[in-house]
Amino acid sequence: MEWVRFTCAAICLIFAVVMENIAVYGVFKFKFVMNRMHAAAIGDTLGLMLGALGLIILKGVSWFSFKMCLVVFLLWITSAVSSHVIMRMEYSIDEEAVAEETSDIDIQGGGQ
Amino acid sequence: MSRKRTDYRSTFYSRIENFVNGKEDFLLYKPKGNTEAKQLESLEEELAEAADLLEQREARQKLQDRMAPLDYLKNFHKLYGVVAALVCATMMILLISTVIYLPPFGSPDNPTNNEVIERYIEKGEEETGAVNIVTGLILNYRGFDTMGETHVLFIAASCVMILLLIVEGEEKKSVYANDRYLEPGNDIIIQRVACFLIPVILLFGIYVILNGHLSPGGGFSGGAVIGAGLILHEAAFGFRKTERFFNEHVYKIAKVSALCFYVCCLSYYFYMGAHGYDNHIPLGTPGNIISSGLILFINIFVGTEVACTMYAFYALFRKGGL
Repeated sequence: MEWVRFTCAAICLIFAVVMENIAVYGVFKFKFVMNRMHAAAIGDTLGLMLGALGLIILKGVSWFSFKMCLVVFLLWITSAVSSHVIMRMEYSIDEEAVAEETSDIDIQGGGQ
Repeated sequence: MSRKRTDYRSTFYSRIENFVNGKEDFLLYKPKGNTEAKQLESLEEELAEAADLLEQREARQKLQDRMAPLDYLKNFHKLYGVVAALVCATMMILLISTVIYLPPFGSPDNPTNNEVIERYIEKGEEETGAVNIVTGLILNYRGFDTMGETHVLFIAASCVMILLLIVEGEEKKSVYANDRYLEPGNDIIIQRVACFLIPVILLFGIYVILNGHLSPGGGFSGGAVIGAGLILHEAAFGFRKTERFFNEHVYKIAKVSALCFYVCCLSYYFYMGAHGYDNHIPLGTPGNIISSGLILFINIFVGTEVACTMYAFYALFRKGGL
């Protein structure tokens, strides 16, 4: 039983490390901001969850596990919202994207 | 010899040429009397184009003039890698050779383990009443230092206010009129999340401040947490809603009164300590929430000060006012 638990935790932690590596690689690999944000979000969500899950499995049911769940919950909320806000700002100050959108509107208006 | 014509654009042949090139259509209705105006317009356009070209050429010339001195640096660029590696290697050798002569970490014979540390560890809890030795250290033994730090915060916020505060006038009106300059826009996602998160953050900050003498934390860290909560509230709901409970009036009262009370507490300590009197403040049982004399109150004052400063920096840099 102890070995099964240890194996599960180890697999989770290894996958967490792999996910974080993918996130770091993606952040440096992509050129476009939104692609990079997507890559960074992988580490923030899946990597974080897998790492916490591994530690929870190692610890078993205890106050520590409850606190880890709370940490994952709070971090999932905050990191997702902060990514959203950053993307919103990027969208509002990115002149190319805004120009594309307005040109679309112009074409539609001209057609009518 | 025919004389040279300057008004080629208005001739019949030029119009035919335009028609062939697809620039002009005879079949379209054209109101009369506009031709001269159109000619003028086209001439003006040409002039503007010529001016643009001239400007571009001048700008390019300027850029070339500016880039010209860089040619002398070509040799430096070749050497740059070598010089950088040399500088790095020299610094590494210097630092590592210094570290070699340092005493081993944690050894009891280190010069840092003198009677001061011994006194803090052995008698700190008994003398200050704080379980957290660090808090007892910075707020009691070294209270003068911490008081200076708090004053530094106050002065920093005042300096930023001097530089960035927009007083009533046209500038303020223009800043307030441009809503994109101030507000992030009503984002429903961040508002819903802020409704849930802000109470948690503020509660956590208050916990950190009140438990400063029992657990890691204290006025500085707890105040920073509370300031972050205020900034989140502002970012989610805008300045108008934040100003309902935290405006310039509240800021002035909270900040100045916190600093005054803090200085009063410490002055009492200094006066009694310097004259060798007993300060008559009960220390309570170490470990209780109400214990350790004035440290709890000093933590609260420092927390207020730091929270106000954090939020003031944000608001001043964002809109030039609280």
